[in-house]
Amino acid sequence: MNNQKVALTLLLCMTGRAIYAADYASETDYYQELPVVLSASRLSQPLSEAPNAMTVIDRKMIVASGFRSIPDLFKLVPGMYVSSYKGSQAFVAYHGSIDQYAHSMQVMIDGRSVYMPPMSMVDWADLPLSVDDIERIEVIRGPAAASHGANSTQGVISITTRDAGALDGKSVSVTRGGKGINDVSARVGHRGDTLDYRMTLAYSADNGYDNLTAPPNNYPITKSQASSLLNNTFDSNQTRMLNYRADYHPDGADRYDVQFGFNHNVKDVGWTDSTGNPVHNLFANSNFVQLGWIRALDDSAEFALRFYHIGQDQHEAFSKVSLVPNQVTQSVNAIRDEIEMQHTLPFSDANRLVYGAAYRLDRVDSLGNDTLKALSYSSISNTSEYRLFAHDEWRITPKLLLNTGAMVETDGMGNQNTSPRVALNFHMTPRHTLRIGTSVAYRTPSLTEQKIPVTQPGELFVINAVATSPGLMPERLMSREIGYLGELPDWATSIDLRLFSDQLSNGIYGSSATNRFVNGFSAQYRGLEATLKHSFGEERELTANFAHELASSNVPALVAAGKMRPTLGMPSGADLLSFNTPRNSASLLYSQRLAHDVSFSTAFYYQAAMQPFDRGIIDHQPIQRRVDARVARAFNQGGGVKGELALVLQNLFDAKYTEYVANNVFNRRGYITLTLNW
Amino acid sequence: MNLRRIIVACSLFLLVSAAWGAENLRVLVVQSDNNTLYQTFTNALTGSLPANIHLTLVLRAEDFDAQQGDLIVTVGVKAADRVAGKTTLPMLAAMMPSNTFTDLLAKRSRTRSTAALYLDQSWVRQVAFLSAAIPERHKIGVLHAADTHLDISALRIELTRRHGTLISRSLHNADTLFADLEEVLIASDVLLAVPDGAVYNGSNIRNILLSSYRRGIPLVGFSQAYVKAGALCAIFSTPEQLAAQAGAAIVSFANTGKLPDTQYPLLYTIAVNQEVARTLGLTIQSAESLRLQIEKSQGVLR
Repeated sequence: MNNQKVALTLLLCMTGRAIYAADYASETDYYQELPVVLSASRLSQPLSEAPNAMTVIDRKMIVASGFRSIPDLFKLVPGMYVSSYKGSQAFVAYHGSIDQYAHSMQVMIDGRSVYMPPMSMVDWADLPLSVDDIERIEVIRGPAAASHGANSTQGVISITTRDAGALDGKSVSVTRGGKGINDVSARVGHRGDTLDYRMTLAYSADNGYDNLTAPPNNYPITKSQASSLLNNTFDSNQTRMLNYRADYHPDGADRYDVQFGFNHNVKDVGWTDSTGNPVHNLFANSNFVQLGWIRALDDSAEFALRFYHIGQDQHEAFSKVSLVPNQVTQSVNAIRDEIEMQHTLPFSDANRLVYGAAYRLDRVDSLGNDTLKALSYSSISNTSEYRLFAHDEWRITPKLLLNTGAMVETDGMGNQNTSPRVALNFHMTPRHTLRIGTSVAYRTPSLTEQKIPVTQPGELFVINAVATSPGLMPERLMSREIGYLGELPDWATSIDLRLFSDQLSNGIYGSSATNRFVNGFSAQYRGLEATLKHSFGEERELTANFAHELASSNVPALVAAGKMRPTLGMPSGADLLSFNTPRNSASLLYSQRLAHDVSFSTAFYYQAAMQPFDRGIIDHQPIQRRVDARVARAFNQGGGVKGELALVLQNLFDAKYTEYVANNVFNRRGYITLTLNW
Repeated sequence: MNLRRIIVACSLFLLVSAAWGAENLRVLVVQSDNNTLYQTFTNALTGSLPANIHLTLVLRAEDFDAQQGDLIVTVGVKAADRVAGKTTLPMLAAMMPSNTFTDLLAKRSRTRSTAALYLDQSWVRQVAFLSAAIPERHKIGVLHAADTHLDISALRIELTRRHGTLISRSLHNADTLFADLEEVLIASDVLLAVPDGAVYNGSNIRNILLSSYRRGIPLVGFSQAYVKAGALCAIFSTPEQLAAQAGAAIVSFANTGKLPDTQYPLLYTIAVNQEVARTLGLTIQSAESLRLQIEKSQGVLR
């Protein structure tokens, strides 16, 4: 007995504590309460369950693509047209765009709409977000107003940034390359028990496009046209930005998301041959604050509240070229505040409802001053928008998933729209899914369409104080589609096919008869899109996208009625829209991991010849074929320092192609990136 | 056979019955603590016993001080630890992690008659569960504490037997959790959670789940809470199920005077998070058909 007591005491001394303490497992390890981590809002919807066609660009693809600007990433989406007005004025449009503003794409970053007034467009150069802070991009091909709010007429780009806890440590990255490519970034992040945060400071600069060396498409041009058209030396762009994200999760039920960011951007705008918009700098400061609260409720229910504020302040000053040079200064300050609440409510394992409401206030202050005319012009515009939305996901049987939803909005311009959506996903087998869907979405007229500026020098639009097109109605898009998603695990392959037919009605266009924006444009888009993914073992992956699209419109009728000017050089009676959309386009992305921590990836982009809608035939875009390649080697310096050295070559074979504006020539260029993490 | 001999035999039987019989069995149940977990167990145990077995309850381990009875049932490690050093009575350690029992308690118990009813599932059952739930995934990652008491090599053998591969790493220190986890995740296609508190605890689980989710790797847990938190699935025994097994062991003791062999849970629960499965593009069967598969492949499991 005594011996046993001694033994026990010794044992306790040796372990330093009672046996139920930390070292050995106890029942509390098994029965402890845990926070709900992967709640409804965290879990992304698999493609075979989504009510729309969707393309996902994940972190791996972003890295493999080698791209250093966000809009370029969308070249990896079937049917997406990515182009640029100038080096820093990129635009992204699904099914093409009839101008360089791409009004019909909704773009959200962590649920925050960056589709901004007064132009109703996304200024990609002004986003306080670096490519390296993106975790994943979901591109919904087709309208999705029922789940993503208004103005998602053609599609929705939904960017998810990296979690606050994605980086635990510090990281610096330096990129140097041709065409003035010069990027530097520093990151710091911390992953804690209750608080995660990350912060990025970045600088990015380049000199945009190259010069044309010969008239495009053998177009006969005059000497003066040639000197201005070929000249593209004034096309640089510098961005300084800060991006911060914190995630505070004090207990298992609540999560608080705090984000803010700032971007200061200086871009070269204007044209050497333009009198009204000569070359000059456009300065932009944009900022945002976003606060989110998500509470996990019982039975997988969830309540989310989000507020965000965006401020975008742009200004320019330049001398208009005329007999008496005069100074023009203009500024546009756009502010958006939005609050949204959303409740996710599972009725059963088979039925889940998401509903909510949002209120948005947009304010645009614009101001212009022209010394020659002693003219000052200014306006203030406030627009408030309400919306209610509900979306139900019902698994009628394990094979049949019905998505129904609708959004009702008042757009602050006197319009009330209802955007419904119905989609039926039929899992013929767990690996083969058919989807049939139809949806409607509206695009609210932009302020610049509704209140067209009296005078328009420079780059910015100082909107009119009064409506010039007071009765302008929203554009309406009705979309129908049939999709197929197949998984072929024996072949390590997945296939995504889609046939679609979209009908645009009440389309807005600039009438040459009245010099006002009016409704009356209608168009139809039909086509086939395909994505194939294949893995060759574990080290090699291929993604292939293809799109075949046909567009038609009532342009010939509008031209005949004198409401739209014909494009010089186009055959009379031609439907310009059918040339505006590239008939065929494709992309391939192949990546491979090699020995010695080396990775290699290459991409091929193809786009058939096309005619930009609102440009003359001088800007005809010939066939684009471009090959990019990236080689990287990861290394471990020891002492906790790891890194990677990467070389990216873009347009490897120096294929001559031009963009939306013909003098945007993209010659072969390369850059090297060194990243260190510790 | 004459009447006298029958009477003697019956008397003996009655005597034996009286000595070992159910009506006289006094069972002392010692809870580790007085909270819901142990109360759930005790309530279920009380409900599962015939009325003639008398339970006396000690609410907290520290309240136990060599009270008497025919049998002591401890609930949880703390109670077993307390009782083991203080009694020579037969002891049934319920709700007991297997490695804690084999490494420590079995060696130091004062009573010769000690048996445990384990709380955790055997590797055999866990591996059978993995094969049934995610048959297409074979690289099982395990991140464990540096000084783990889990029998990792036994898991490796069992996995190899079922055509799986174990990718195990030990945690260097608390600061390297995520670097170590990344090493496991890179080489694995399933992450199997283990009850090593240094790795898996309420504060780490969030980032562990997020890291594995980002890589498209499902986590397999060992409780309902894991599945609720975002694990793909889990196999575990509830306190009620453990109590039912303890109840049967007590009745057996009442009838035979012997404690059963130390054993793994007979009853278990499978939980599946279909939403996580869908997101990760996995097809996972229902809990019921998984159970059928496990039982088909393993027979009666111990």
